Amino acid sequence: MTLLTHSSASPSTSLAARSFLRAPPFRAHVAPSTIPSPFRPRLLRLRASPRVKATLTVDSPTTGGASSPNGPPIVLLEVKDLKAVIKESGQEILRGVNLIINEGEIHAIMGKNGSGKSTFSKVLVGHPDYEVTEGSVSFKGQNLLDMEPEERSHVGLFMSFQSPVEIPGVSNFDFLLMAFNARRRNKGLPPVEPLEFYSLVTPKVAALNMNPKFLDRNVNEGFSGGEKKRNEILQLAVLEAELAILDEIDSGLDVDALQDVAKAVNGLLTPNNSVLMITHYLRLLEYINPNYVHIMEDGIIIKTGDVSLAKQLEKEGYRGISVS
Amino acid sequence: MTCCSSSAPFATPAPPLSFHPLRGRSAPSLTFPSTARAPRSVAARAALSDPFVLEIAEKFEDSLSSSPAAAASPLPLQKLRDSSSQSLLSRRWPSSKDEPFRFTNLSFLKSSVLLPVSSLTTPLDCPIDSPLPHLLSIVNGHVAPSLSRLAALPDDVYVGSVSALPPGPALDRVLAALSDGFADGDLFWDLNGVGAPDMAVVFVPAGVRIVDEPIHVRFCYSEGSEVESKQLAVSSPRVLVVVEKGAEVAIAEEHLGVGESEDRCYWANSVMEILIGEGGKVVHSYVQRQSMNAAHIKWTFARQETSSTYELAEVSTGGRLSRHNLNIQQLGPDTVTELAAFHVSQNNQMQDLHSKIILDHPRGYSRQLHKCIVSHSSGHAVFDGNVRVNRFAQQTDAGQLTRTLLLAPRATANVKPNLQIVANDVKCSHGAAISDLEEDQLFYFQARGIDLKTARDALVFSFGAEVISRIPFEPIKKSVTSQLKHLLTTQ
Repeated sequence: MTLLTHSSASPSTSLAARSFLRAPPFRAHVAPSTIPSPFRPRLLRLRASPRVKATLTVDSPTTGGASSPNGPPIVLLEVKDLKAVIKESGQEILRGVNLIINEGEIHAIMGKNGSGKSTFSKVLVGHPDYEVTEGSVSFKGQNLLDMEPEERSHVGLFMSFQSPVEIPGVSNFDFLLMAFNARRRNKGLPPVEPLEFYSLVTPKVAALNMNPKFLDRNVNEGFSGGEKKRNEILQLAVLEAELAILDEIDSGLDVDALQDVAKAVNGLLTPNNSVLMITHYLRLLEYINPNYVHIMEDGIIIKTGDVSLAKQLEKEGYRGISVS
Repeated sequence: MTCCSSSAPFATPAPPLSFHPLRGRSAPSLTFPSTARAPRSVAARAALSDPFVLEIAEKFEDSLSSSPAAAASPLPLQKLRDSSSQSLLSRRWPSSKDEPFRFTNLSFLKSSVLLPVSSLTTPLDCPIDSPLPHLLSIVNGHVAPSLSRLAALPDDVYVGSVSALPPGPALDRVLAALSDGFADGDLFWDLNGVGAPDMAVVFVPAGVRIVDEPIHVRFCYSEGSEVESKQLAVSSPRVLVVVEKGAEVAIAEEHLGVGESEDRCYWANSVMEILIGEGGKVVHSYVQRQSMNAAHIKWTFARQETSSTYELAEVSTGGRLSRHNLNIQQLGPDTVTELAAFHVSQNNQMQDLHSKIILDHPRGYSRQLHKCIVSHSSGHAVFDGNVRVNRFAQQTDAGQLTRTLLLAPRATANVKPNLQIVANDVKCSHGAAISDLEEDQLFYFQARGIDLKTARDALVFSFGAEVISRIPFEPIKKSVTSQLKHLLTTQ
């Protein structure tokens, strides 16, 4: 609701807005709206909010400069009161998550082990192990929960797996081509031929400092931890998702690999696409600067702030950030 | 997936008595006076034999004696028929009470009228071509020189019918190989010996290498009946491969129905015997794509002398009943044996591999991979893989893995990987896994926008790719790949 109240602010208040953002960004994301969701994006577009614009100018290496200061913010993902259980045991993991991600924003979710971060990302992409019991998720105005996992990918959602599964017998190249052409078919475009695709994918491989032979290897088979993560980002680069959910993309990476991966992610950012990172460490956030940092505990987002929240966390641990 | 391995400290030598657990339930073998030569002359003894088996043997006899070539049967073939008919006397038609046929239902054969393929009625109009330069065609068990292309082979190599084999070292070797006999044979081995109208010989003298361009051995079946007729035309092709000291040969074996027999009923009961001399090497691919209404029973019996290598890559997709009996025997130390098999069992299909690797000498190395997909409720896969490491086979390194994908409810697989280890200083492992496709893998595809069907197809195909990639001959690999893609995606 607060998002909608600042519609009259002039675009020239960029500086003010920035400081405004630093103050209580929390409210911006507790926004259960009473307006039916199909109308929301349009309304938002009509009534530009300086606060959201401001978020685009936060010192992120890519979003800040690239975005048009006059561009109206568009809600990309809206999660309302999402509750989900493990299908097999019925155990409730998510207990009412609320989150709004606008186009061009970078969000980070932090939290203790078992707080529901990974479950949240898996539920968003439709993992069959979980069942949504309550709440809604809309992505670009469409009901995400009604879609099959592949449809979620087609509308522009991407999740990098925390531990990607090995697929013996399917080469990385074939897999990427299959995914790329599935996306094209969905858009009504003709499939690309392997040769054409090869010239398309090679620069992306090089950008990740990966050996081109990587494409001939079977998907994730015998990959090191770092190679698996790079491979996930390569898939992101090929599929060009609008919302990339990066689930612990930093775990198991050495400094060099982390820099490569972060550089690649930053390189993929445009004013229109967004990132949701899940991480335990401030280190990743120093490479990919988030606009918002959320703390998740026991299946809900208990606190939202900017990167200073992550710094505080690093210093004081989760005890320092209790809701009370 | 379960996996267990045994290494020296844990290997408990099996007591000699438990040495033949597979044969525990078979009837005690009967011995006959050596005067018993042809089935007819022992008809009086029929009480001891299985009348059904004798009936088939007599049919074979009749069909062979009526053919014009019978009078002038070459010596090796006569020898083979004599010894086979003798041992056939003690054979019974196997039932599910016999361990080797416990899960393999042979009623399809028993309930059909078995008709030996009459004589050389080769329909020469059917186009038989091969992407490989050397081609040996065997039509209904007869070597067909007019459909073969062997001119480019080195002069001292012999590939062709035994009847055209001139006297000399090659013939001597063939006779010697046949007189060794085969103790582990079964009814079907003997039936082939009795019914074989011809024998193809591949003889590679010492030091000769035929590696880059394999010999394509094509088994064509042109006689078949309509499915409703309940008749099975039986043919008994037989091939003997002799590779002398230090020689190498690549063989691409293929079984298929030609002309009208592409979807007809028939029974191919074939045998390939391979003898590899010291330091020799045989690279063997075996592709079975017979009619879905046919029966395919095959023996592959390979003997390996010191430091020899045998590699087999097998892809079997055809036949209503398909059974491969694979027997590898070690005649000297330091042998290398690598076996890979991929079977696809669809609607009303049985795919069976019974293999036995017998190691009697030190430092043998063997690897076996068996993979099978059962994609239909009425499909059935059987694997019995026996590796026997005998007392003197010290420092053997033997590994075995079987993996089966069951893609439909009630699809059946019976697998029995088994190691029998007597030697006490060996490294042996075996593993077996039977499962559906992994949910995690399917979801990974979906999460990247690939629909479930495409994902399943890709995973199913990639399952077999591991074996197909071991076919060393590019044209064969390509045709198998495209056939399998078609087969596995059109379900």
